[in-house]
Amino acid sequence: MSAQTTETPKSGTILNRRKKKSAQGEGDLAETGGFVWTTTAWVLTLIFFAPVAWMFLTSFHSEADAATNPPTLLAGFTLDNYSALFDRGVGPFLINSATASIVSTLLVLALAIPAAYALSIKPVEKWTDVMFFFLSTKFLPSIAALLPIYLLVQKIGGLDNIWILVVLYTAMNLPIAIWMLQSFLAEVPKEIMEAAEVDGAGTLRVIWSVIVPIITPGIAATSLICFIFSWNEFLLAKSLTAVAASTSPVFLVGFITSEGLFLAKLCAAATLVSLPVLIAGFAAQDKLVRGLSLGAVK
Amino acid sequence: MSITSEPIAENAADTSGKRRRRKRDKTIHTGESRLAFLLLAPTLIMLTVIVGYPIIKAIYQSFLTDPGLDSSGFFNEGNSWNGLANYKHWLLQQCPGAGGVTESCPTGNLGAQFWSSVGITIGFTVVTVLLETIIGMCFALMMHRAFKGRALVRVAILIPWAIPTAVIAKLWIVIFDPQGVLNNVLGTDFAWTSESGPARAAIVIADVWKTTPFIALLILAGLQGISNEIYESAKVDGANAWQRFWRITLPLVKPALAVAVIFRSLDVLRMYDLPWILTQGANGTTTMSILVVRQLNSGLNSASALSTITFIIIFAIALGLVRLFNANIVERGTR
Repeated sequence: MSAQTTETPKSGTILNRRKKKSAQGEGDLAETGGFVWTTTAWVLTLIFFAPVAWMFLTSFHSEADAATNPPTLLAGFTLDNYSALFDRGVGPFLINSATASIVSTLLVLALAIPAAYALSIKPVEKWTDVMFFFLSTKFLPSIAALLPIYLLVQKIGGLDNIWILVVLYTAMNLPIAIWMLQSFLAEVPKEIMEAAEVDGAGTLRVIWSVIVPIITPGIAATSLICFIFSWNEFLLAKSLTAVAASTSPVFLVGFITSEGLFLAKLCAAATLVSLPVLIAGFAAQDKLVRGLSLGAVK
Repeated sequence: MSITSEPIAENAADTSGKRRRRKRDKTIHTGESRLAFLLLAPTLIMLTVIVGYPIIKAIYQSFLTDPGLDSSGFFNEGNSWNGLANYKHWLLQQCPGAGGVTESCPTGNLGAQFWSSVGITIGFTVVTVLLETIIGMCFALMMHRAFKGRALVRVAILIPWAIPTAVIAKLWIVIFDPQGVLNNVLGTDFAWTSESGPARAAIVIADVWKTTPFIALLILAGLQGISNEIYESAKVDGANAWQRFWRITLPLVKPALAVAVIFRSLDVLRMYDLPWILTQGANGTTTMSILVVRQLNSGLNSASALSTITFIIIFAIALGLVRLFNANIVERGTR
């Protein structure tokens, strides 16, 4: 995993620790993954997860079975609820959601990584004020911000356009992305940055080839959070899109409302819409833990 | 394993680096500043336009009158200068009365609900963020440890957060219904959302269940950087598990925790969708944002004043939170 094995303890404190830890990875598993711990972990998760399991099972039941009292968990299995969802044309909405979430997440990373780098490494005057400015974008009730944004978007003719959502989601997620990445970057030893600079690497190249590999777990967590926030966003999507650019939360709420409060269909809708997040979670969780190969740094 | 939150190692790096950096700073400081500004510029411009514009607009409108019958009974087209009247309406519960005199608002008037909504919102924020932080910390520590099926748990835990609030709130309606799932399971017959205590509890439960994964994920990311060596040397020094948590884990995970708590608080302070769908703000669950939603129907400019007040309240709270976590954030940022 790492190319450096012969650092002296003093100059390479962090690097060595990191290295050792990665080498120990498997050993930890045997050492700490005791039976008690594993059981506790699973019990806690199951309690938290019970409503999800109930929702998942109910989504495969008929409405009649779902409405029984007490709830039956293992009634007849049916895909009716899901086919009802697809009959109503959930497909394009899922694609719109995916476009808005993925593109805005990539845009956020492209803007937030350099910004966080500038804030944590380069001496920016009054940097705390800048950080607080980013925070201040989260002070106004979102419902109050909606009307001015609606009028602005209408003026530029951007209603029912998925790219407008992409831009708005990017702006929505930039503050937290910068705060998160900054907290990771603040801990990168300055020597690493400086060594790369002295070599004459351009700033963007430094960011790409040195910084990004080091904070990969941070970037993975940030991406996942931005993706989920965009995926779940309802207010802006509901107000600014109509048909062509509408996203899946809007579709789902419409679906639930028009179908009445049918439990099984509601559960199917909720299950379906959480699947892409699970996929994104699987993709990110790997990076989240493994991250960091210091070979690149040296 | 990310880059660490290791004060010890960091300090070691700092002392050797500081001297060198000071010299460098003098010579290329201006160049670096310009570069930093260039890197920040796209973000600053984007946020100023998209997020700054509505704020300026809200502040401007908050000083204008709303259309409607004025105090002498004539129709008023609105949007004329109103001074601080909108603010007085919310902060001092002053309503226009007969004959052009202001009087205190009758109970039931939206203005009269202002201070209770502030209290309710702050109450929700303190309770949910506290619970989410504690449970999220447990989950993060759990997911950080190695055990069989860890990857699955890590992803499964995201599910509640992965479902849009609008959908999950409907699911909670079914659960908290008098004939709903919770009563079926408990064998009770309790109207959860019809009294203020249980209605608030229902909202807190729904919100904690949904958003704990967010905090857990952030703390987990922060935990990745803490090396085992620190724990091992602490163990050698005779620190017990509790001490290791307070002295090592908590301080080192603090930057990530700060981001989680600050952003989560800002979201709960502006929360409206979950209580709106669960209770429509009835039974003591009217948050500040729900009051804004209600006021929007009867007067945009007065709602703008309420939004601006909310903005200022959240501003103050955010300032307090940042100060609270300051030690870590500022020390790391300035050098």
